[in-house]
Amino acid sequence: MLDLASIQGAFDLLTSSASAWVFVIPGLLIGLFFGSMPGISITMAMAIFLPMTLYMDFLPAIIFLTAIYTGAGFGGSVPAVLMNIPGTSSAVATTFDGYPMARSGRHNEALGVALAASVTGCLASYLLLLFLIVPVSSVVLKMGPLEMSAVAIWGMLLLGSLSGNSLPRGLLAGVFGLLLGTVGMNTAGYVRGTMGVPWLLDGVPTIPAMMGLLAASQLIGLVNTKYLIEDEGSRKISFAKIIGGFRLSLSFPTIILRGSLIGVIIGAIPGVGSSISNLLSYSETKRNAPDGDSFGRGNPKGVAAAEAANSSSEGGAMATMLALGIPGGGATAILLAAFATHNIVGGPSFIANSKDIVYAIILSNFAQALLLLGVGLGFVYLAGYIVRVPMRFLIPSVLVVAVFGSYAIDGTISGPITLVVFAILGWAMVRYDYPVAATVVGLLLGSLVEGNLLRTWQISGGDPAYALERPGALLIFALMALSIGLTAWSARRRRRAAIPAAGSG
Amino acid sequence: MTTNITRRTMLRLASGGVVAAALAAPTVLRAQGVYPDRPINVVVPFDTGGYNDRLSRAFAPFLQERLGQPLNIINRGGAGALLGHTYFLQQPDDGYTLLCTSAAPYIPLNILTQDAPFNLEDFHMINLPSQDYTLLARSAESDITDIGEVIEKLKADPGSLSIGVQPASADLVNLMLLADANGIARDRLRIVTFDGGGPARNAVAGNVVDIGLAGGQGFLPLAEKIKPLLVYEKVQRDGWGGKLVTELSGADTAFVYGSQRGWGVHSSLVAGSPEIYDTILTAVEATSKDPKVIEALTAQQLATDWYGPEASNAALASTARVMEQHLDLLKGA
Repeated sequence: MLDLASIQGAFDLLTSSASAWVFVIPGLLIGLFFGSMPGISITMAMAIFLPMTLYMDFLPAIIFLTAIYTGAGFGGSVPAVLMNIPGTSSAVATTFDGYPMARSGRHNEALGVALAASVTGCLASYLLLLFLIVPVSSVVLKMGPLEMSAVAIWGMLLLGSLSGNSLPRGLLAGVFGLLLGTVGMNTAGYVRGTMGVPWLLDGVPTIPAMMGLLAASQLIGLVNTKYLIEDEGSRKISFAKIIGGFRLSLSFPTIILRGSLIGVIIGAIPGVGSSISNLLSYSETKRNAPDGDSFGRGNPKGVAAAEAANSSSEGGAMATMLALGIPGGGATAILLAAFATHNIVGGPSFIANSKDIVYAIILSNFAQALLLLGVGLGFVYLAGYIVRVPMRFLIPSVLVVAVFGSYAIDGTISGPITLVVFAILGWAMVRYDYPVAATVVGLLLGSLVEGNLLRTWQISGGDPAYALERPGALLIFALMALSIGLTAWSARRRRRAAIPAAGSG
Repeated sequence: MTTNITRRTMLRLASGGVVAAALAAPTVLRAQGVYPDRPINVVVPFDTGGYNDRLSRAFAPFLQERLGQPLNIINRGGAGALLGHTYFLQQPDDGYTLLCTSAAPYIPLNILTQDAPFNLEDFHMINLPSQDYTLLARSAESDITDIGEVIEKLKADPGSLSIGVQPASADLVNLMLLADANGIARDRLRIVTFDGGGPARNAVAGNVVDIGLAGGQGFLPLAEKIKPLLVYEKVQRDGWGGKLVTELSGADTAFVYGSQRGWGVHSSLVAGSPEIYDTILTAVEATSKDPKVIEALTAQQLATDWYGPEASNAALASTARVMEQHLDLLKGA
């Protein structure tokens, strides 16, 4: 499937001039910086720099923008780990274990794990893309509403594992999130639950709501602590430990490979992307890990699973964009606009006629992933200093940053209001022992589940036999059942193994 | 040396001077401030990456050369452009805020279905270069031969084909007009609603739905994955080659155009500050007709044709009237 002549052509393109490479490191830095600012999305960062690319040649322009994309994809994990703020919805699952790791003094390690998983996930996704770009793109368009429902329901399995101490409370919190996710205009054009507020017509603004639920509620709970990490000795910024986290991450090849595979496939589906893939990957990893119980309390495997999946979604989204010419989300829409300014239209004919450019983009992304390694190490090293800031400075600063970030999303007061409302809600939920993470997951999945179930019903005319016409959906459901079955089986085996051990001990 | 000027006179003179200066100041400022004397904002009521965003960003560098002040693009997406349109009207009508929007169908939709706090007359369109049209298409893999077969199947059983469409859209209105013209029961059609033209097109291309209706220009990147069956236009566009709606149901058949996109200002600017309005009008017209601009925008599949305010506002008003006639289709499907 590899076209060697085109790859040779791609090498020639990339090595013909230095201009293609000059913009990689600035692009990565811009991406890292904007990605780590809560509320500044990858799309926004790319939109701001889009006009600059008008004056560049095509390849440098695309490399610059994809470098921002790659950098911002990882940038979001820094506030997720250090402050429990998912800068974008793709870093939600990173907070689940990343932040507990940071609080227990393992911030260096957590950032190292995140960086390594991001880099390897990104590499793996582009490697898959190199071989699979054509087949992936043909699968993407076949994803009907039933298949999407299956994916969304798979994501909801995570709700069960986020429930903490009490399953009913977890489910209640999750259902509450799902209901919140249905606020606004649904796919059939009905408006529900907006209370006449026009800002709610598109649903509850997800990013401010997440920041409020996860971060602000946490920070309010931390007012009486002096530092993020209680133990003074653990507040070190250690390069060796970041590298240690790096090695640790590479010792979970299955997790990273599974995350990358989930990331590429989910990332390739238009309109879903990295915000779902990180949840799915986390959920699968948690259920399959022998130490699944320690997830959510600072297990590095959780960070690796989430980061591998959200970084590899970039490769999937690029596959859809290059092969079909349709944007999976905002970031690829910007890339398509950049394509258009250079008189290039993505789509099947582009792949067929300009294989060398496609391969050049893919190869340059390998290089970007490797450079991210270097740039990212420096970035997380500096970002790690946050743990040395006393809480009495950190809490107000982070709250201010969160409020500005929520305002920046669409430039209206609706963001900060949402943030405050959900911060109070989140604080109350934590106070009464309801898991906020389950609500966040429900909120992210709510409209996806509802819209696709509704479309399934419309398309089938209510006839259950429709499922038999969709082998893809049946396959997803079968895989899901298999995965749950295997988990149950291995859990039972572990219990059996544990009982005699406990008996003899 | 003595002087006649007493302290009192001096004070009087001084205070008089202050008053005179104060009175004179606004005129002085006004005389200096030939429009435009500061940057101009362009409100795009959609998020980054959409057609209007791309249009404004591609057009702005050329327009700002003519206006002599930089243009800032402000994206105010959400609620089907309701939030952005409201925001635009809240800005002062001094010519320092322009609008780049899909005037149709969104302004009429905001008014008809969303209780918008404005009227169509509050907006004045300078030029609506982009006029999209509905395309009815099937997947390249499907074995439906032509629009005749679609109509026959739907006549025999309206629920026999699944139809992908965006709710509350010109495309849905066009589908229903087709059903009416052929005596097909509207409420028995198997309609599948998508959250936008893009998802509906993807569903058509992937053969997830049997047929689908969406804006024709957006189908262009997917041209190889679909087969056009019916073009809702009087003349062929974009080389689709599907049957024209006027060929199918006669030259006087009723149909609506899709998105009409382009540049607008506050209506009150036209009456209140005619000189400023003229400056903007002249700049937009000259920019739209500039061969350099036409070349740059055409390369990006963006429209620059100049129709002018009269034709643009008339087209918008006429679309709004047809939409009002089909109000029942635009509220929750």
